[in-house]
Amino acid sequence: MATVALKDLVKTFDKTEVLHGINLEIEDGEFVVFVGPSGCGKSTTLRMLAGLEEVTSGEIHIGDMMVNHLEPKERNIAMVFQNYAIYPHMSVRKNIGFGLRTAKMSKQDKEKRIDEVAEILSMSELLDRRPSQLSGGQRQRVAIGRAMVRDPQVFLFDEPLSNLDAQLRTQMRLEIKKLHQRVGTTIIFVTHDQVEAMTLADRIVIMKDGYIQQVGTPTEVYQNPANLFVAQFIGAPSMNMLEGRLTNEGIVLDAGFTIPVRPKVAPQGMTIGIRPSELTPAKEGEAALMEGSVSVVEPLGSETLIYVDVGSTEIVATVPGRTLPELGSRVRLNTPKEEIHFFDTKTGQALK
Amino acid sequence: MLGYRALSIKQKQVVWAWGFLALPVLFYSIIRFYPTFGAIVLSFQDWNLLGDKTWNGIENYQKLFADPVFWKVFSNTFLYLIIGTPLSLVFSFIVAYNLDKVRFMHGTIRALYFLPFMTSTVAMAWLWRWFYQPVPIGLFNNMLATMAIPQFPFLRSTFWALPSILAPALWAGLGFQIIIFMAGLRAIPNTYYEAARIDGVGPWTILWEITLPLLKPTIVFLVVFSSIGFLRIFDQVFNMTTNDPGGPLNSTKPLVLMIYDTAFNAFDMGYAAAQTVVLFTILLVVSLVQLRIMRSR
Repeated sequence: MATVALKDLVKTFDKTEVLHGINLEIEDGEFVVFVGPSGCGKSTTLRMLAGLEEVTSGEIHIGDMMVNHLEPKERNIAMVFQNYAIYPHMSVRKNIGFGLRTAKMSKQDKEKRIDEVAEILSMSELLDRRPSQLSGGQRQRVAIGRAMVRDPQVFLFDEPLSNLDAQLRTQMRLEIKKLHQRVGTTIIFVTHDQVEAMTLADRIVIMKDGYIQQVGTPTEVYQNPANLFVAQFIGAPSMNMLEGRLTNEGIVLDAGFTIPVRPKVAPQGMTIGIRPSELTPAKEGEAALMEGSVSVVEPLGSETLIYVDVGSTEIVATVPGRTLPELGSRVRLNTPKEEIHFFDTKTGQALK
Repeated sequence: MLGYRALSIKQKQVVWAWGFLALPVLFYSIIRFYPTFGAIVLSFQDWNLLGDKTWNGIENYQKLFADPVFWKVFSNTFLYLIIGTPLSLVFSFIVAYNLDKVRFMHGTIRALYFLPFMTSTVAMAWLWRWFYQPVPIGLFNNMLATMAIPQFPFLRSTFWALPSILAPALWAGLGFQIIIFMAGLRAIPNTYYEAARIDGVGPWTILWEITLPLLKPTIVFLVVFSSIGFLRIFDQVFNMTTNDPGGPLNSTKPLVLMIYDTAFNAFDMGYAAAQTVVLFTILLVVSLVQLRIMRSR
């Protein structure tokens, strides 16, 4: 187990800079998830950590060692790849044992270690099979087993669940989380799926265009997004964004209604954000924040999403699962004051 | 067209498939299979191309297996195969493996290796024949002479003539094998190598335990393909030993050249057909054995 630190990490491919100075401290035993849209630099960061990509400038520390110029094998890390990278011509046992090839251990110790790992991943009975005889989830477990067997200081996961179907992904997600609770090794996990990030992470690192947008616990990034990008990226369906401007009565929104509250520091052009889950029908006799007509209804079972035309803007709101509003009907919507997020339209930064 | 419309989708597909297959089936039957069967029948007959064909049972085969020249030719053919196939595979793999890592002038280098494959075998054979001549004509012996090294009897020695002929054959086939090997190497996902780097295994382990096993389908294809090529070697030998084809003293004569001699110099068609059937059997057995060996591991 070890801490990991990235200091002013920069990466350029040819002349294009893809990472612009990443700074991050990861604690011992922490589960950190890098999340962001494709091309944001999350995988590049991970590959630099693994030693598969050269560092252009900046420093990578694992434990108390600067590892910039160390070969991957000298960094004592293990990596699980998106396509698993398990060898089709070797049995599961040989695949898992491949990571021990260079270890200074007796043959019996190696076999014992492989058996232990197989036991933890509950795949002892699969050890003599070939990868082609395994399901996608089992292959993923072999890949994790190969990483575990060397008892590394840090686990690196590069979108390991992307090739699995939705149900299996949920199941493997849970298994990875349990595995972390059990072995307690530092894990750095890359994904483009914000649900994976939210459910797995101790801390989430949200990236975009080679910059870190926000670092925080899942609750922090969900409840206090640092900017417009984070606000829209985290949470599904995406946060409703409404542009407006500041007046004496409050914030007059382009959608055609006014919000009577304002943050302490308030620029002229402002955007407010309300999560669909917090935007619900107003009670009888209660003053509504906004009103509009229903254009689309999406029942999800436990709740129903409705798309509402407010002025010229489409807004997503939530109604209880049992009541399906009719198309075209008028709905009055409300939200608690603390659920309204304020952003500076020009800079995109959140306002307190 | 009512009959066609009444067919199910599956049946329609079958009709179309056979429609397209009809031409190649016809072609293969007339151009390939009919002569093959003709040759097998002829191998039990006696025929000098002009007179009548007469049946003579297995006489042709008896004569063949009692002929010392046949056994010499038989061993020559296998020498071409046993030396040629492994060497060409090793060379082409080494070149492909390293060329795969080269970015600088990659296309040009690859084209240079491929060039001999596109060149006429006859022209190439005559060029190499010139290389091998004694002083003052031959390139190699002239070079040896300027360095005060004694002459080397490339095509004149019963021992060295066969390897001397094999060398240009190897060289000419290299380009094709390199292209196939490179395609095979490209098909191996990069993450396999990255995973191995993280696991910290050495380059030899990566080569023997990852690259080569994953290249097995490519290797099987090339072994079979190049074996067939070496078993059928003819042009190089015929052109490089043009004064005495297959010489000196039959030391370079392959089976195909013997067949050619028997058929078109001795006009003993039945005997030539018997040799053809033997060659065909050898090719079939060698290919099947290789496929079996390579597949079963």
